[in-house]
Amino acid sequence: MNIYVINGPNINLLGTRETEIYGKDTLESITKDCQEQAFKDGHDVKFMQSNYEGEIVEWIQNAITEKIDAIVINAAAYTHTSIAIHDALKSYSGYKVELHISNPHLRESFRHVSYISSVVDAVVAGLGPDGYSHVIDLLLDLPIKVN
Amino acid sequence: MNNRLLIINGPGLSDLSNYNETGYDDLTLDAVQQKCSETCEGLGLEMDFRQNDNESELLSVLIEDIDNFDALIINPAGHSQASSIGLDMYSTVINKITNQGKPVVEVRIENIFKQGNNKPLQGPESGVGFVGGLGMHSYVLAIKAINKKLSNN
Repeated sequence: MNIYVINGPNINLLGTRETEIYGKDTLESITKDCQEQAFKDGHDVKFMQSNYEGEIVEWIQNAITEKIDAIVINAAAYTHTSIAIHDALKSYSGYKVELHISNPHLRESFRHVSYISSVVDAVVAGLGPDGYSHVIDLLLDLPIKVN
Repeated sequence: MNNRLLIINGPGLSDLSNYNETGYDDLTLDAVQQKCSETCEGLGLEMDFRQNDNESELLSVLIEDIDNFDALIINPAGHSQASSIGLDMYSTVINKITNQGKPVVEVRIENIFKQGNNKPLQGPESGVGFVGGLGMHSYVLAIKAINKKLSNN
């Protein structure tokens, strides 16, 4: 299975920014943890991070043309603002999981609206940095969907 | 001992036939329980799996029994259609549990955000996880997350 793990703005600061909320793991260490077992089992899990909305949209479009099997997306703050990411995800027909390290619904009210939740299969939030590996493990067990 | 998990299912979950429209054909609560039981057994967790159609009974069970458990997975089902008093009661109970340092994860079979107004349970900022939209796998993922948190404690 091929998976894109797309990360939005400020996720590159994981491990240093507001560690009481986001934990001490860096994106690099999370990536390594998730890829090790997946690679051994013959899967391809690609981690991407961008602070630019348009780049995230292009990666989703790329997932469509490349027929990637699943997208895990932590759009971070763009979750609450981006109609462009909503539209791009709507056009993608593989598995889609919206992931957040914290639980946005328990935080400031401006984080309570997600433009992404209604166009994905599943939402996983508030499980800390471990959420990534839990979601990826699960996706790797699912049958591949034709898209 | 730090391995006792309570899984509690709210009103309406005794009959999952109405979930067929959301793509989870033939799912039954028995099948969910079976899957949870296998997952917990594999991880060495002691599981108590319950369902209650009566919301106030469910809340009483939580208040009275939580001292006997180390972690909670809750599928509150129709809670969002309940009164604001009901919502407050959930928050009070969830706060009590998280204050004891016990992990709580809300699970949903379906993606509740596709249906409009459904809102997740409220609780303290870092205390409550959420998994929705993965069918019975929502429970599996929540159990694995709880297990990781308990083993880190």
